[in-house]
Amino acid sequence: MNALTRRSFFSRTSTGLGIPALAQLLADDAGAAAGGLPGVPHFAPKAKRVIYLFQSGGPSQMELFDYKPQLGKLFKTELPDSVRMGQRLTGMSSTQTTFPVVPSKFKFAQHGQSAAWVSELLPHTAKIADDLTFIKSMHTEAINHDPAVTVLQTGSIIAGRPSIGSWLAYGLGAETQDLPAFVVMISPGQGGGGQPLYDRLWGSGFLPTRYQGVKFRSVGDPVLYLSNPDGFSSEDRRRYLDTLGKLNQTHLEDTGDPEVSTRIAQYEMAFRMQSSVPELTDLSKEPASTFALYGPDAKKPGTFAANCLLARRLAERGVRFIQLFHRDWDHHGGLPAGLPKRCQETDQPAAALIQDLKQRGMLDDTLVVWGGEFGRTVYCQGRLTDTDYGRDHHPRCFTMWFAGGGMKRGITIGETDDYCYNITADPVHIHDLQATILHCLGIDHTRLTYKYMGRWFRLTDVHGTVVKKALG
Amino acid sequence: MGSMFRVMAVVLAVSAGLPLPGVEFNRDIRPVLSERCFTCHGPDNNNRKAGLRLDQEAAAKAELRPGHRPITSGDPTKSQVFLRIASTNKALRMPPAYAGHEAMPANEVALIKQWIEEGAAYQNHWSLIPPRRDAGQTIDSLVRARLAQSDLRMSAEAGRPTLLRRLSFDLTGLPPSPREVDEFLNDRSANAYEKVVDRLLASARYAERMAIRWLEAARYADTNGYQSDGERSMWRWRDWVLQAFQSNMPFDRFTIEQIAGDLLPNATTQQRIASGFHRNHRTNAEGGIVEEEFRVEYVADRVETTATVWMGLTLGCTRCHDHKYDPFTQKEYYQLFAFYNNVPERGLVYNFGNEEPYLKAPTPEHEKKLAALDAAQRQAEQNWSSLQSRIAADQIAWEKSLASSEPLHWSVRDGLVLHLTNDKEMKGKIPYAAGQDVAKFNYMDPFTLAAWIKPSSPNGTIVSKAEDYFEGEGYQLFLMDGRLRLHVTRRFTDISLRMESVEPVKLNEWSHVAVTSNGRRKGAGFHFYIDGKPVATKILFDELTYPYGPKEPFRVGQGAGDKYRYQGEIDDVRAYRIELTREQVSTLPLKESIQELAAIPLRARSDAQRAKLRLCFLDRGAAQEIRDVRSAMQAAQAERMKYYDSIPTVMVMVENEKPRDTFLLKRGAYDAPGERVFAKVPAVLPALPRGAPANRLGLARWLVDRSHPLTARVTVNRFWQMLFGTGLVKTVEDFGSQGEWPVYADLLDWLAVEFMDSGWDMRHTIKTIVMSQTYRQSSNVTQELLQRDPDNRLLARGPRFRLSHEMIRDNALAVSGLLVEKNGGPSVKPYQPPGLWQELSGGRYVEDKGEGLYRRSLYTYWKRTVAPPAMINFDSPTRESCIVRESRTNTPLQALTLMNDVTYMEAARKLAERILREGGASASERIRYGFRLVTARAPRANEASALAALLDQLQSRYRGDAAAAEKYLKQGQSTRDPALPVTELAAYTGVSSLLLNLDEAVTKE
Repeated sequence: MNALTRRSFFSRTSTGLGIPALAQLLADDAGAAAGGLPGVPHFAPKAKRVIYLFQSGGPSQMELFDYKPQLGKLFKTELPDSVRMGQRLTGMSSTQTTFPVVPSKFKFAQHGQSAAWVSELLPHTAKIADDLTFIKSMHTEAINHDPAVTVLQTGSIIAGRPSIGSWLAYGLGAETQDLPAFVVMISPGQGGGGQPLYDRLWGSGFLPTRYQGVKFRSVGDPVLYLSNPDGFSSEDRRRYLDTLGKLNQTHLEDTGDPEVSTRIAQYEMAFRMQSSVPELTDLSKEPASTFALYGPDAKKPGTFAANCLLARRLAERGVRFIQLFHRDWDHHGGLPAGLPKRCQETDQPAAALIQDLKQRGMLDDTLVVWGGEFGRTVYCQGRLTDTDYGRDHHPRCFTMWFAGGGMKRGITIGETDDYCYNITADPVHIHDLQATILHCLGIDHTRLTYKYMGRWFRLTDVHGTVVKKALG
Repeated sequence: MGSMFRVMAVVLAVSAGLPLPGVEFNRDIRPVLSERCFTCHGPDNNNRKAGLRLDQEAAAKAELRPGHRPITSGDPTKSQVFLRIASTNKALRMPPAYAGHEAMPANEVALIKQWIEEGAAYQNHWSLIPPRRDAGQTIDSLVRARLAQSDLRMSAEAGRPTLLRRLSFDLTGLPPSPREVDEFLNDRSANAYEKVVDRLLASARYAERMAIRWLEAARYADTNGYQSDGERSMWRWRDWVLQAFQSNMPFDRFTIEQIAGDLLPNATTQQRIASGFHRNHRTNAEGGIVEEEFRVEYVADRVETTATVWMGLTLGCTRCHDHKYDPFTQKEYYQLFAFYNNVPERGLVYNFGNEEPYLKAPTPEHEKKLAALDAAQRQAEQNWSSLQSRIAADQIAWEKSLASSEPLHWSVRDGLVLHLTNDKEMKGKIPYAAGQDVAKFNYMDPFTLAAWIKPSSPNGTIVSKAEDYFEGEGYQLFLMDGRLRLHVTRRFTDISLRMESVEPVKLNEWSHVAVTSNGRRKGAGFHFYIDGKPVATKILFDELTYPYGPKEPFRVGQGAGDKYRYQGEIDDVRAYRIELTREQVSTLPLKESIQELAAIPLRARSDAQRAKLRLCFLDRGAAQEIRDVRSAMQAAQAERMKYYDSIPTVMVMVENEKPRDTFLLKRGAYDAPGERVFAKVPAVLPALPRGAPANRLGLARWLVDRSHPLTARVTVNRFWQMLFGTGLVKTVEDFGSQGEWPVYADLLDWLAVEFMDSGWDMRHTIKTIVMSQTYRQSSNVTQELLQRDPDNRLLARGPRFRLSHEMIRDNALAVSGLLVEKNGGPSVKPYQPPGLWQELSGGRYVEDKGEGLYRRSLYTYWKRTVAPPAMINFDSPTRESCIVRESRTNTPLQALTLMNDVTYMEAARKLAERILREGGASASERIRYGFRLVTARAPRANEASALAALLDQLQSRYRGDAAAAEKYLKQGQSTRDPALPVTELAAYTGVSSLLLNLDEAVTKE
């Protein structure tokens, strides 16, 4: 394809510039195979791709990673004002008359060389502790789900900006021509439901639509509209596309408009996806050992386990940004009953994914991220009994973990106070996290920009510092 | 790398065609200074570096320190700006290396040098100078003149079929029918083209075509847009827009009514509906949000949407700081904010319908039907009144007749769902639990609870269906410090209704207590009664916004926690699934038998006694005819009420009597107020028109005042974008210094003046453009022209670009004959792959049956957080915020959608049926017919033969596998024409699908 053709492959109206980025979608153009921006990555990357295991709803840091033995003695005592320091609370608990402290019901132990504290709820994660980088000092401004998830995904609490995956698709392009650069998969908590998610969380915002995340689904077509209609075979489709190509080619000659040749390429790519996606989602050739590793749920489409396995397969095929959302971590009440279920659904598969990537030699250039949109309060929300409690949203500190590509293994960064309320060392803001993920991929977060409404936007807005301590 | 990107941006303005001689500040210099320098040396007063300001001439040419001038007219070597940008010393060079900037490219440095040499003349920013035009010009004369400068000429006029198809999509969003094509081809009159233009502009389709882009700008949708994304109803506003375009409402009125229709003197319902424009923004119903944080967001959205839609200004930047590129301060942002800050609205909204303020917005059909129901109700009530003397007489006779019979104990039983007495069920046992499935009321159900109580303690639960603690979910009627208290709770802290009686109930005495709810979830709809008389209440918390329903039994004497175990006696507990009237409640405490009441002399009876006797008579003693008339009246009242409730509402703007104070918000944060500000327009723009109030109405009048330099330009530029794919200013949302300087500034101004001179006549302005030769050119392009002007910014050819998302679908529906044309009405739910809503937010998308599947895409139900995927795949804005730029990309997902989505497969099948029925007998006639339906032109020989070959292949394939043909035709709800042979239809369906996928089919040429 000549330069003009490639150029018109991109929107003529949407980029603000009418030009630059190279074809994410075009394979047959040497030099454009990667399809990102020229000059990106800015420096040698440690990771080529990201698998982001988003735990939607806000898992409790106190029950899972941030061990606070002192809280046992403080059970049912009032959270001191000196700790709370007048910080804002959600409307769900701000009118409570009492803020009783409640410790974790679950036990902790230290694991591995790194002696990381991990809860009994996560036995599999505990076993790979030495491969993980814990950050216990994550914080955000948002105190409600929608803004909190939105800022993690887009860098702004107000919806409308591109998601992190679409930034990467735009900047780095894809390693494959047969699959989208950015894939999203969703699993419900098996209690059903959980906090809603929104298409915009993987949307492209003001970036061109082609950078949006493509949702892979467990029911119906894995990618919307992928399958030919019943009674129309792949051979039929091939003949059809040959005729279509011929007619479009004729029309290209008539009009002289290179846009027509991009149309031809677009249909050929679609045809390729029709075989590459089913091949990808077909788990029948995975050996028994795979399912032993990921657990029995991996055979059930739509579970977190099945999605973790698919994530590995997507990574193997060169997908740039793979994001899993597991729902229903929002334990305002009934935490002692609800939390173990989420852990049971996610612990083994997440740990399996790390081990699987490791044994395939892929962990070094794959960055895996695990975490939710905020943490949970040390005080009880709603009714506190001797056996039951709930926790409200807590943005002031929460824990995430990382593995692989570019991160230093077996360390813990950040500290929180005895109430697990405020950060006492090494705070890491959402924008720092984003800057760090980009850094692992060889991107200077201040230089991945896009002009919209007269301004050069970036994922980290005007903030963000790479967490150097976390880097290997 | 950003740098290469930016270079291209900067030079783009001058890259179209050949560069023109001389340097012009607005065209050549401002874009460079803006992009390279203004961030630190521009309008932002708080972050200016070294005190240097380059966006204002005086400041840029003044001595900054002795001997140092940023710019010395005529002498680059005495101009620090030039010396610094040209410096090879990294420590001195600007933009600074230490901040990661590359050196400016040589061509830009040369431009700055030349500009300084030529005198460094500044110009005001072009878009802030009111547009004017020279007499005697036309669109075509301006285009021809510009083309001549670049040694180019206009292309020939497009062929008639192409032209008609272009015009039909541009003016109506739909393709021409074969008959319309024939008519146009055969019309040899001189004004044949103009006749078509007029016909299309007058059609209802024109209004629909114009409306969809406006809906996108107005961020119109059917849901709230945050978190669980509940439903709202704004389609009455959307229909107002349709009506406005249909009647060609002048754009100034169109503006004023939408921004401030409610503030017009004697505002009509229609004008108030129009003001819904600024209630279309997203709203948040997520439990626990900080209300003010989001209320501020709504106001900001209004400011920024107004700036984008009417002024092409990126004022969003000034929410947190002074603008970096354009002369607007943060304070000015909040002065505009003040115009929109006076709506009596909430930050946390209701999740299942419209949030206040809203308005009942009946359509003419609604009004007609309602009038008929009103009349029927009046008639039924009249029938009832006319019976009153007979009833009175009958009742007296009935009362007398009772004396001899057994004592009658009667009470109100309408809607009674639970009745517990000590004689029967409770046997004096407290607490007492009835079943889980009784008296299950929800937040939108009417109900009544009543009981006799003799409390010995001032704290105790009378009845409940709730988790047994004070904050428990469910309803609880109890005594707290002696007062009668009701809790209806989903989540105590924020989703709950709590109220209590002002006066306490007496201890150790029997009292009758009752509570009624009208089923409208607001405290004002709940009434308390003691001993049958209404008592004053105090609403403590009024946030019953979600359904509730604990799995708990109905309990007597328990259910609000241990502290509220009832002490004393309770009897005659009742639950009704209706709201009892005051009259009905008044009868509940009466213990006397009907005979005892009847024995009381007429005058001595209390109101309650009178009521009870009468109700009992009507229930037990009245003649059938009386009962019939009574139930007819009740039915008429209920029907009227039900219908009235079904009439849609629409959220509208309303102004607080007393304006809310507005403050500059530091960093844009809701909780960081700075100085107080007042409604005022930005200083670089004209002042409010004389006599205009400093409120929304004044703001609206200001926007469409003749002196405003932006509104007309920005609006005609969007018209141009709609027709040519790209605006004359490509950055339709940004007319500031970071926006594109228009290649055709003179043409833009010519159109803006034409628009205003015509009385803001949209139809006239669009007609003027499409009548031009510029618009009518062929869009075919030569290799040479493509090299010279790839984006067609010089307009040496006609527009050619992919149809917009809604047109692609509407076209398929139209050519297949499926399209159902019906103007306005509630949104519809066409095909969508199952499960999309459930997997993200719960709730189910229930596809329509029949016509809802085939309406124009404009009417498709828009759930913001899970927008219709096929529309999104074709670059539809998501309707989350104001979008005015049309965007087109190409992805494989589009090809998959067009080939496999049931929408397009069904259209292919119906198109095939149409071809087989209408297209003649031979394959070649049929192919020709189908091709013409889709493209408006006849296929050429090689095109026809390629299609014939495919048809052939498919025919033999399906003849060999009729079962596959059957399956292939099972797409969509519409019935299949049984007269057509299955294999033949399947083969033609394949060909038809291909036709719909042709580049030409999805492109406006």
